[in-house]
Amino acid sequence: MIGGYRVVTDPTNADGGKCMWAFAEKDGTEYFLKRFLEPKRPREGSGSAASRRIRLETCQEFEDRHRSIMKLLRPDASGGGNLVLATDFFHAGSTYYKVTERIDTTTLDRPESLAPKQKAVLLKTLGASLRLLHDIDVVHGDLKPANVLVQKRDGAAFHSAKLIDFDDSYPSGKPPGRDDIAGDSLYGAPEWRRYVQGDETVDGPELTTAVDIFALGLMTHHYLTGALPAYDGRFGSPADAVNAGEPLEVDDRLSTPMQALIMAMTAAGPERRPTGAEFFARLKDPEVCTLHTVPQPRPDPDAADPAASADSATGAKPRGSRVTFNPPDRATRPTTPPPPRAGDDDTGTPPKAPEASGPPESSAPESGEAPPDAPTGPRRSRVRINLGHRTGDGRS
Amino acid sequence: MTSELEKYHGNLQYAVDIVMCIDATGSMNPVLDIVKNSSLQFHQRLHDVMAKKSKEISQLRLKVIAFRDFGDDPSDAIEQTDFLHLPRQVTEFETFVRSLRAIGGGDIPESGLEALALAINSPWETGLDRRRHVIVMFTDAPAHPLGTVGASAQTYPKDIPRSMEDLFEQWGYARSQTAVMEQSAKRLVLFAPEDEPWKEAIGEDWDLTLHFPSRAGEGLEEFEMDEIIETIANSL
Repeated sequence: MIGGYRVVTDPTNADGGKCMWAFAEKDGTEYFLKRFLEPKRPREGSGSAASRRIRLETCQEFEDRHRSIMKLLRPDASGGGNLVLATDFFHAGSTYYKVTERIDTTTLDRPESLAPKQKAVLLKTLGASLRLLHDIDVVHGDLKPANVLVQKRDGAAFHSAKLIDFDDSYPSGKPPGRDDIAGDSLYGAPEWRRYVQGDETVDGPELTTAVDIFALGLMTHHYLTGALPAYDGRFGSPADAVNAGEPLEVDDRLSTPMQALIMAMTAAGPERRPTGAEFFARLKDPEVCTLHTVPQPRPDPDAADPAASADSATGAKPRGSRVTFNPPDRATRPTTPPPPRAGDDDTGTPPKAPEASGPPESSAPESGEAPPDAPTGPRRSRVRINLGHRTGDGRS
Repeated sequence: MTSELEKYHGNLQYAVDIVMCIDATGSMNPVLDIVKNSSLQFHQRLHDVMAKKSKEISQLRLKVIAFRDFGDDPSDAIEQTDFLHLPRQVTEFETFVRSLRAIGGGDIPESGLEALALAINSPWETGLDRRRHVIVMFTDAPAHPLGTVGASAQTYPKDIPRSMEDLFEQWGYARSQTAVMEQSAKRLVLFAPEDEPWKEAIGEDWDLTLHFPSRAGEGLEEFEMDEIIETIANSL
């Protein structure tokens, strides 16, 4: 028993960062119990007075930060159902714990094989989750597939996405220090990479909610095509390529407006990326999520704002973007092969009637969708990624 | 031109240092081969997991500290390598690991804390963009208090703390002035019994420590090595 919760599975670090986690039960309800690896509260009489003072100060700041996020992100707030939020936060002995409801996830091995409308719903619920954070000027800070739980209610036609793990969140423009900031090396934004590398031209104020938008752009490409945008094998990540002035190669089987949207979201300059609200608006027409069997026209290369071409399909008004993109003839340009990047399947337990978070149900697969085994276009993205979860849970 | 040199120099560079502290006393006999095999496979498995996550480690170094008991035989209580670059020095690494024999140990507690202290004071990488410094402890026994059993032996490490409190201060915490390891880089993974000092004094009270209870005579399970690899891969 920990803090009144009965631990029912072996604690593990699987898919976790600076934590261990287990499932737990209290009063007949199942929970996800997260044990923080730091900070640790000093025991009575342990260490020198100076040591205790420093450690207690650190603990107080840790508690304040978590409680302030919990206050801002309340489960009963409008749209709060799209976020997996903490229901309890406490320490037992030296160790801090956080509790969330247990979320059972749905197996979604190949999101790219979903119908356009289903893809649009999945992405809209993900976008809506992120908007809740961005509306209060909070950066998630570690947005990646492993921090998105995909659900499908019994009998429902649609998958929906729930965002988890806000423990590395920070106020927009006020990130942790360069050595302390969290983030994923694959999904990190260009300015995040430079911040971590000690680039003095990037300071805290430049790490804004646009950091999340870059990751969301990569995830959108993955959900729609099954892979990340392609980039030259010399680079360790999409952000490394973008920082070197090498644009990402968006899959040309995507609709033209979607190509433009993803290009804008992965622009080098954070100020040129659309907002979460704009992303949401661009998905109004599900057809933009279609994965065609033949290459689609590239967005107008002369357009000052490639993202603007998405407006013609959605009517949304994006923030300006002048990101460059690959003209069609780059599709077959030989590039250095990237390192092996195997795909990993998303597995999970059957859903257990999660709360509603997606739009109304309906819809059969729509025309224009590439079936799973359909011939591909002349170029496919060469990078496949792990979609997320090994087990059905709400870990963070 | 090597593939390393072909890499874009602006890529984010990750350095991973791992010190494996391996109990090589007689009671580990049933499991030492498993620990050794797991250690030998470690590099490839880490590489595979990182590749699945589309991630790469720019520099990987491994160091092994095998320990027994200064109270039983000070002459072989500690055997260790320097940090070895993998895969370049894989032969040296394999030769050392394969040479380990589970012998001696005397009474039940062993000199695990001396091994841990040596590990903490290792020459960790300080360059590249981001670092992970991981100590992994494999033992099936409690440990003698530091600076007590065998402390007068010639071979007893000279520059390590002589008390748990001092060792704790070397391990450190956020804003510590005495820590010898980088707070944001370090992790301690214990495969150790639910005895002291592993369970409470370290497993419960030290920052960034993961304790997976081991039982004497039971092996290093497959999932346990996965835990180490996950711990590294998830943090990059």
